[in-house]
Amino acid sequence: MSSTSQKHKDFVAEPMGEKPVMALAGIGEVLGKRLEEKGFDKAYVVLGQFLVLKKDEELFRDWLKDTCGANAKQQGDCYGCLKEWVHGFMS
Amino acid sequence: MAEFHENPSVLTKERLKSELAANNVPLPSGDHKKEVYVQLYKKNLTAQNNKKSPPADTFSSDEELPTPVVSNKSRSGKKATKKTDKPRLEDVEVTELTDEDLKQQLAKYGVNPGPILATTRKVYEDKLQKLRDEVADEAGAPDVTTLPKADSSQNGNTNSDQYSDKEDEETAPPEPEQVPVVEKPVRSRGKTPVTVRTSSRRQVKVVEEILNEETPKKTSKNVIEDILANEISTPTGISATCRRPIKGAAGRPLKPSEYWLDESRVQRSISTETRTYSETVSRPIASVPSSKAPVRRGFLSLLLKLLLLAVVVGSLYYVYQNLDSDQVRTLRGLLDSVIVPVQGAVETAATFLGVGSSGATEVTGK
Repeated sequence: MSSTSQKHKDFVAEPMGEKPVMALAGIGEVLGKRLEEKGFDKAYVVLGQFLVLKKDEELFRDWLKDTCGANAKQQGDCYGCLKEWVHGFMS
Repeated sequence: MAEFHENPSVLTKERLKSELAANNVPLPSGDHKKEVYVQLYKKNLTAQNNKKSPPADTFSSDEELPTPVVSNKSRSGKKATKKTDKPRLEDVEVTELTDEDLKQQLAKYGVNPGPILATTRKVYEDKLQKLRDEVADEAGAPDVTTLPKADSSQNGNTNSDQYSDKEDEETAPPEPEQVPVVEKPVRSRGKTPVTVRTSSRRQVKVVEEILNEETPKKTSKNVIEDILANEISTPTGISATCRRPIKGAAGRPLKPSEYWLDESRVQRSISTETRTYSETVSRPIASVPSSKAPVRRGFLSLLLKLLLLAVVVGSLYYVYQNLDSDQVRTLRGLLDSVIVPVQGAVETAATFLGVGSSGATEVTGK
């Protein structure tokens, strides 16, 4: 039984296109705002960061924590969401 | 400032700047990488120590930064700086490293980083710092205690602490190369923290411990433990078997089957008593199955009913004998209407018990 949220399922179900960064699982209003301030205003920019970090979980989670202050759960949700999206659309 | 450092890269950028300024060395405008100041400082040092004038091609523009870094090693005639350059990088603060150096340093720990960009630099710096701290800890103390701050958010942090007690040194030497292979199965186990993915010796130890502990130790040790646990647990050698709930306590109603088993274990005195009693009373009850105890409960209730019946009948007869004839006559009518069903009931019970006529005589003998 998957424990992913509805947000996760919605995100990984289709190409992200121009979805805002808040469409990512684990990224809500507050975190989304912080990311946007740092320049990560679209989900694909965060995807870019994820890829540049070579899809490494630890590095991505650290980056997310440093950039927007995400807690462990939020980090995990976001990472999982992106990982699955990449697996579905980029492999 | 009379003395000069052989390798100015150990100094902080600020220190370098101040030293240079103190020696009236023109600093390039703006804030540059530390290497810029290191080069300037070295030139100064060279000038001071060797009484030579600084080379004419001082870099005044930013673009030449990478080249002086490289060419410095060849240009400088000082073997001392050449020798000390490489290892010194490990003592430099992570924030002071160039992108290239940072990449190199990470590679030493087996990490193959992606591009060191503005957005990725910080995480790589943190990672390098963490790796250095781990190595320092490992070198400092045999038993591993700390994992760096970034891991505190990971769930598996305490696992490696638990496993760090034993077999630290044994597994350390053998296999630094196996780490990439080892990491994968370890990660899939899900027991180690996610951050355990670098090939520092300590990480290998943790990984090895987990593997070692899980495969052979867990199977044999736990099995043995399980076996031994029940056998010799007390100094006196008395071993307690599984705790059985006390029958009849805490709302656990007595059941015939359980009751019989219970008797055999605990209530021996009571059981013997009841058995003897059962034997005396149930002698005529030969048809009853040999296991007297299960039937005992039903027998008890039946016996009570019989006793009650006997008491009632007995009292009636007593009254009947002591009353006057008149009242007797009136009562007789009543009694007749009562006795017949009573007698019928008694006879039914008697036949049920298999007493037959002997029971009737018993009752009438009162």
